[in-house]
Amino acid sequence: MDLIPSIFFMGKGGVGKSTSAALSAVQLTRQGKRVLLVSMDPAHNQSDIFQTRLGEHPKAVAEGLTVIEIDLASWVRRYLKSVQQQIRQTYTYLTAFNLEGYFDVMKYAPGLEEHALVLAYRHLRKTWSKRMDCLVCDMPPTALSLRFFSLPQLSLIWIDQLKTLREKIIAKRELITKIRLGRAEIERDKVLGRINEQASDYRHLKACFEDPQQTHIHMVLNPDLLSSAESLRIRESLKSAGISLKRIICNKAAPGTVNPSLEKGLDDIPLVSLPLADRPLIGLPALTEYLDADQRSVARRLDGCGIDG
Amino acid sequence: MISRLKERLIRYWRISDQVAREKAVGTIEAELEELENIFAVLVLGSYIGLPSPPMHIALDLMPMMERELGLMLEKVDTANEPIARLFSTLDID
Repeated sequence: MDLIPSIFFMGKGGVGKSTSAALSAVQLTRQGKRVLLVSMDPAHNQSDIFQTRLGEHPKAVAEGLTVIEIDLASWVRRYLKSVQQQIRQTYTYLTAFNLEGYFDVMKYAPGLEEHALVLAYRHLRKTWSKRMDCLVCDMPPTALSLRFFSLPQLSLIWIDQLKTLREKIIAKRELITKIRLGRAEIERDKVLGRINEQASDYRHLKACFEDPQQTHIHMVLNPDLLSSAESLRIRESLKSAGISLKRIICNKAAPGTVNPSLEKGLDDIPLVSLPLADRPLIGLPALTEYLDADQRSVARRLDGCGIDG
Repeated sequence: MISRLKERLIRYWRISDQVAREKAVGTIEAELEELENIFAVLVLGSYIGLPSPPMHIALDLMPMMERELGLMLEKVDTANEPIARLFSTLDID
C-alpha cells in the first residue's frame, strides 16, 4: 500500500482554502519536500494564485512544487465512456436498446461528481506516489467534499448487501446444476467478481481516509461565527465517517491575533493562525514574502503542516 | 425378451429421473428468477423509478447484467398477472 500523505484543505466557501493550500505547499517545498498541489475545486483558484494556466497536465511552478487541476467533467465523461464500451462488448441482443441516448443524460446523475473525484484522486496517488513526498489537495465546496469522504463508507453498505444477495443467487444456481447434472458446476460469476473488486477498492480507500498518517484534514476558517459553525458541522460529519481533523487554520485573523478563540467542539484541535495579508497573495513572490514576514512568523507556524508527526 | 424388458426399465428409469429432476428444480428456478429480479431491481431500479445504490455501483455492474436487465423487462410483461404466475410455478390447475 502506498503511504504518501495527503493534506486536504476544507472549509466554507471564501475562507481562503486555495490560498492556505498554496502557502502550505510552498512552505513544504522550502523544507525539501516534493509536493503535488492538486486543485480539486471546480472554481480552480490555483491558476489565479500562481498566475499561470493550469490543467490536467502537471506543471512545475517552483522548485519541488508541481500543480495540477482536476477537470471533473472530463473524468465523468471518460468514466461513462468506459462503461458504454464495456456494455457494447458484453451485451448481445440488448444493444438494440439505444443506451447511447441514456448515457448522454447520465453525466448529470447525482453521485457521479464525487465518484469522478475519487477516480481522479486514486489515479493521482497511483501515478505520483513514487515521485512526490505528499499531495496537497485544495478541496471543492463543503457539500461535494463531504460526499467525497463519505463515499467509501456509503458504497460499502450497499456493496455488502448486494454481495450477500448475489451469493444466495449463486448458491441456488449451483444447487440447480447439481440436481440437473448430478454434480455442481461452478462457473465464475462476473457480477460477484466485480462486486468483490469494488469492496476491496473501497475498503482500501476507507482505510486510507481513516489513517491519520495518510490523510491530514486541515480545516480553514475565518474568525467569524458562520465560518466556525460550518466548520463544526463539517467536523461532525467527518467524525461519522471515522475521519478526524488534523489542524485548524484560522485565516484572515486580525493583526496581532495569536490564537483566536474557537467554538467549543473545535478548541481541542491544533490551531494555526494566518493573519490578514496587507496585499493580495497572488504570484509566488507574494506567497514567499508573506511566509517570510518575521513579525508574522507564518512560515514557522506552517512548518511541517503536520505531516511529519 | 428379458434384455428388452431390461432396456425398457432402464429407459423408463432415465425418463422418470429426468422428469423428477426437472420438477425438483422448477420451484427452485422460479425462486432463483425472483432473487435475480430483486437483485436487478436493487442495482438498476433507478431506471424504473426505485431507490437504488450510488450510481457508480450500478454503472460498474451494468456491463455484466444483460441477463438481469432482460429478466426485469420480462417481469414487466407478467407484472399484471402475479397470481397466475404463482399458480403456474406451483403447478396448480
